[in-house]
Amino acid sequence: MNSWTNHLLTLILFTPALGALVLWFLPSRPKVQRWAALVASLVPFVLTVVLWVNFDFQRAGEFQFIERYPWYDAIGAAYHVGVDGLSLVMVLLTTFLVPLAILASFSIQERVKAYMMLFLFLETGMLGVFLALDLLLFFVFWEIGLVPMFFLIFQWGSAKGERTVWPGFTLQARVYAAMKFMVYTMAGSLGLLLALQMLGLVTGSFDYLQVLERWNSISGPVLPNIPLYIPVSLVKKVAFWAFVVAFALKVPVWPFHTWLPDAHTEAPTAGSMILAGVLLKLGAYGFLRFVLPLYPAESQFYAPVLAFLAAMAALLGALAAWGQWDFKRLVAYSSINHMGFVVLAVAAAAKAAGTEHAVQALNGAVLQMFNHGLTAAGMFFLVGVLYDRAHTRNLKDFGGLFGTVPFYGGVLMFTAMASLGLPGLNSFVSEFLIVRGTWPVLPVFTAISLVGLLFTGAYILKGLKHALFGPLVEKWANLPDMTLREVLVIGPLMALMLLLGIWPLTLLDVIHRSMVALVNLLAG
Amino acid sequence: MIPLGAYLMVSAALFVIGAFGALARKSAVAILIGLELMFNAALLNAVAFWRYLHPQGFDGTVFAIVILAVAAAEVAVGLALFIAVYRRFGTAEADEIALLRG
Amino acid sequence: MTNELLLWLLPLPPLLAFALIVLFLNKSNKASHTVAILSVVLSWLGSMVLFLRALGIGAEALAEHPMHDSLVWLPGKTSLLRIGVYLDPLTAVTLFFVAWTIVMIFVYSVGYHNYGQPKGDHDEKGYPPHGATVEEHGHKHKVPSIEPMYARFFAFVSLFAFGMYLLVVSDNLLTLFAGWEIMGLCSFLLIGFWFKKESARAAAIKAFMTTRVGDVFMLLGIAYLYVATGSLAYTDVFNPEVLHQLAHSPAPVLGMSVAGFIGLLLFIGTVGKSAQWPLHVWLPDAMEGPTPVSAMIHAATMVSAGVYLIIRVFPLLHAAAEVPEFLSPMPIIAFIGAFTALFAATIAVAQNDIKRVLAYSTISQLGYMVAAVGIGAYVAAAFHLVTHAFFKALLFLGSGSVIHGMEHGVLHTGERIDPQNMYNMGGLRRKMPITFWTFLIGGFALAGFPVVTAGFWSKDEILGEAFAGHHMGVFWTLAVAALLTAFYTMRQITLTFLGEPRTEAAKHAHETPWTMTVPLMVLSVFAVGYGWVGVPKYFPVLGGLLPHWFQEWVGAVFHLYVKEEQAVSHSLVPLLVSILVSLGGLALGYVVYRGVTRADQPDPLARPLGPIFTLLKNKYYFDELYAFLFVRPAYWLAEVFTFRWLDRTVIDGILHAVARLSWNLGQFLRNYIDLPLINGFGDALGEGAKGFGRLFRAIQSGRVQHYMLVALAHVVAFLMLVYYYATMS
Repeated sequence: MNSWTNHLLTLILFTPALGALVLWFLPSRPKVQRWAALVASLVPFVLTVVLWVNFDFQRAGEFQFIERYPWYDAIGAAYHVGVDGLSLVMVLLTTFLVPLAILASFSIQERVKAYMMLFLFLETGMLGVFLALDLLLFFVFWEIGLVPMFFLIFQWGSAKGERTVWPGFTLQARVYAAMKFMVYTMAGSLGLLLALQMLGLVTGSFDYLQVLERWNSISGPVLPNIPLYIPVSLVKKVAFWAFVVAFALKVPVWPFHTWLPDAHTEAPTAGSMILAGVLLKLGAYGFLRFVLPLYPAESQFYAPVLAFLAAMAALLGALAAWGQWDFKRLVAYSSINHMGFVVLAVAAAAKAAGTEHAVQALNGAVLQMFNHGLTAAGMFFLVGVLYDRAHTRNLKDFGGLFGTVPFYGGVLMFTAMASLGLPGLNSFVSEFLIVRGTWPVLPVFTAISLVGLLFTGAYILKGLKHALFGPLVEKWANLPDMTLREVLVIGPLMALMLLLGIWPLTLLDVIHRSMVALVNLLAG
Repeated sequence: MIPLGAYLMVSAALFVIGAFGALARKSAVAILIGLELMFNAALLNAVAFWRYLHPQGFDGTVFAIVILAVAAAEVAVGLALFIAVYRRFGTAEADEIALLRG
Repeated sequence: MTNELLLWLLPLPPLLAFALIVLFLNKSNKASHTVAILSVVLSWLGSMVLFLRALGIGAEALAEHPMHDSLVWLPGKTSLLRIGVYLDPLTAVTLFFVAWTIVMIFVYSVGYHNYGQPKGDHDEKGYPPHGATVEEHGHKHKVPSIEPMYARFFAFVSLFAFGMYLLVVSDNLLTLFAGWEIMGLCSFLLIGFWFKKESARAAAIKAFMTTRVGDVFMLLGIAYLYVATGSLAYTDVFNPEVLHQLAHSPAPVLGMSVAGFIGLLLFIGTVGKSAQWPLHVWLPDAMEGPTPVSAMIHAATMVSAGVYLIIRVFPLLHAAAEVPEFLSPMPIIAFIGAFTALFAATIAVAQNDIKRVLAYSTISQLGYMVAAVGIGAYVAAAFHLVTHAFFKALLFLGSGSVIHGMEHGVLHTGERIDPQNMYNMGGLRRKMPITFWTFLIGGFALAGFPVVTAGFWSKDEILGEAFAGHHMGVFWTLAVAALLTAFYTMRQITLTFLGEPRTEAAKHAHETPWTMTVPLMVLSVFAVGYGWVGVPKYFPVLGGLLPHWFQEWVGAVFHLYVKEEQAVSHSLVPLLVSILVSLGGLALGYVVYRGVTRADQPDPLARPLGPIFTLLKNKYYFDELYAFLFVRPAYWLAEVFTFRWLDRTVIDGILHAVARLSWNLGQFLRNYIDLPLINGFGDALGEGAKGFGRLFRAIQSGRVQHYMLVALAHVVAFLMLVYYYATMS
């Protein structure tokens, strides 16, 4: 390994932010900004590929490419980054989706510079969460990601619609959505921050690896280092729930999910792609990186509660999606449905710590995170393509497009089928693994989720039925088919969906190795 | 020998005249003159007390010399100020210059 | 090429054809169908090579050492999931009929979609072709026009063929499921092929959703099997030790063993895919698709896949049934099969649409196979699966040919009639002789016409097994169903081909082109000939002459897992019953329906059966019942309960209440704490200082002499004070 690859993670992490700064000094002409942003986002992707190539897959369970510099010595926080198999997959997902999202945002016409800069800052924020090995650093990036997204929804969100919060208080829909997103997530972060600080104080360090080691070996009835004389078990329980609520809000798990349909529906197309594609994964990643390793006993104890919420998300998310007439909101609700399976798998893995079931469930969960990133981004993009042309998302306004725009129809069909879990495409593998992992552990909740899976079919077909099938609505008789740029956005997504469906080992190998390590850690 | 009281009487008279001049005259120069009279009253007092009460020390004479110097400096600064004031306001009447009025 | 490599390659040509047509060839109709047919011919060739090689190896040897190759697909902590290809005698016979029927259907499709005909006058993508006006000999007349989405059809149907081949050559349940679902998607696409028709769209959704109900259970079954055994490959799962262990461990529900429970879950998949009651509702509606698709779905591939699955997992079901402590799934399977066989046959009696009759007959015949598996007669089930595939493909293609001929007549005469309604036909035997004779063969095979047709042998075997196994309920149910089958088959033949034409269109019907008739002829060869490979030994005269090849061949597969039943005492009762119901039903059908002479005549059975006929005609109102019981409540649950009520009203309501509470709290803090107290205190401080200053500004005159005077006064006052205190002390 040469000195260049020693700083690979830092490079990946900060090139988007750096790119954003470069954008600042470039002329504000939209064309320049767009291409510059695209190039700036491709750099981290290329670097991630380099990372992938140099990654030691045999040791996927350990952190690699570690960089550690003092940052805030007085309280034991450091700039500490590293990747294991889990982070690697998530970083890949992020750096892969962002260029596509930027390419998808070429249709943005207003304040392009600000938009692109926010997008690149957002990428740094998200990558930081996946790369940070320091609790404080993690939290900083966790919060940083919120800000650009808030503005993306607030400024570039859909122009129409409003929501009445209470009689006499009505907001523009995108303002409502942005506020709900921001306030909700901040509320969750509050408990997280407290819990993180508690961990830092008790263990005397914010370093993830040290915290992990010291925290789990705490003995004695009361907490060390904090002169409050509270029983350890109580503190652990409270801190566990603080973590869980913060991450559950982000995933989101029922009943903390209602911000999602609003935010996703109102966000600009690329914003929805990233929201569904990456931001939701932050929550699931939090579960895998922090909740399970830091609170194995509590996770095990409360697994049925978590599983209940996850099963409700899978079932009610699907049902709610089925009840939608706004195509984008339908896709938004589908995220709740799909991410419910991830949390269900996490719950099962917590309950059956150390077993084959846990490994399979977690393999499925991580793969599902990646898969959902692909399919949800694809679906949001395709809905956006339709919206760009028709300026409506109401399914009742469409019909018969399969004849008018056959290429778009085929692509939509493909992506929708991937989302539905058709074997041969990506989601099937992860859903199968999750069911395989959760069924022996949590049979009732798995059964409930499977009912959700049935309704997954229902809502996907509803979307296809009203958009593509049925009598042609005359208005759309001359709708243009997809442009080359749009094909370039969806093409890579579709290719990966197919690849992962046919040959899941491409990704599953590294996931499996890191999940085995995680499960062994949980088993002690 | 002239008693100390006489000196003090003269000094007091001088001081009162000076104070009256400083308080009652309109012209800034006259006020300055009043002030000078008061200085000199104090000087006279200092010299008189020295001669009658502590003739063996030097403090009284030193004090007197310091007062003289201060008075001279004060006149110099005061006159310079008045010239500046006159240039600015076109008058040297103390009552006319009331910029600091609340 | 090695057998294994050939097996791997077998499903690929149709997939390649699909990709090529979708990506490159969709503008050219000729290139599309050439590539599609070429691909299935390649697969057919491969299948035949493998079939012949399998014959060369011999049943016992092949069952002991099936062609098998696999590779790692999913990682696990202790075991790896492998997927691969597999060929044992059961696969071989399945491959045989699949390959033949698929090729025939592809060739037929060329003619069916009017290749070579002009473009339609007003045709648009998403509607069936409406016909084109051409000028011939100086006057205009209408002829059928080419399907506007001709290339797309061949793309979809190629993918369909890929799904079926994938399913057949799989060595494990996971890739089988993959093929299964891909076919589900294709059936969705093809049933809804004319996607702008409301009815086609609804039928497509219905087919996908109904089968998905079964698929979800099946997925669970597969996952459970994977949990229980750590593998999904047939060779691992159907290992006697594994089976023994599965059959002796209790499942969490229903008082079943793990084996029985998994078997039941997988069987629910079959119920969905093979359209068994209560998930049968999708199949008749699936007739909305083009007729070759109906043949593809209802004969050659999709519904057969369901039966193939339960025959494939028979060792599991058998093992579960062997352990008396646990509830066996077999009676459930037998019941559903037998019930469906009778139930669907009764509905078929009252249908007038030529394809719908066949659709219900398919459901009914699949019921036979399922019932056969339920009573343990897996060989008979497999045999009937194969013969049924041939004669039902023949019948569907024949009905398509009839419809095609009728459409020709309809276009020619301009009559506004339904070309699929049998009452509008009649006398077609003279207009369409090839179609008539082949259809007659297919129909007789379906009815089980004794000795000469394949259907007789396979159906007889199921009845014989039921009788021999003392499953009298199943036996009599199936016998009555067979009577009805023969009856409605003859009804169909009589109404369609016999008598005199009842409409102008029927008079002008036309024999179809060779691309359609040749497949009919080829399939009719199998509809007759395939029966001869399964003549039971006890059959009078013929029994000894021909070996019961099918029994030996397929039976060999399961001899490894299934203990041979005690020698079955063969009785001639089922044989006689079988002949009786077949001939009786056919005769009855002819007698009742030969009198129909007008298109608007009521059905001769309508009067004697009264309300029962209405009930049958409306398919026992199952669609309405399901709409009332499931569909509408589910819609309500989704849109009103979950979204409007739970999400928007309750959860968002709580959030908004919190927001409002915070808002009001903020307002309170501002209005009653911040403004009066905090701001008030600060303001008071400032205002106080200001007032004080205002008070003292009076003495701030700006006049030097005033200040001096004040200073003097103070000095004097101070001195007086000092003096006063000094003198006091």
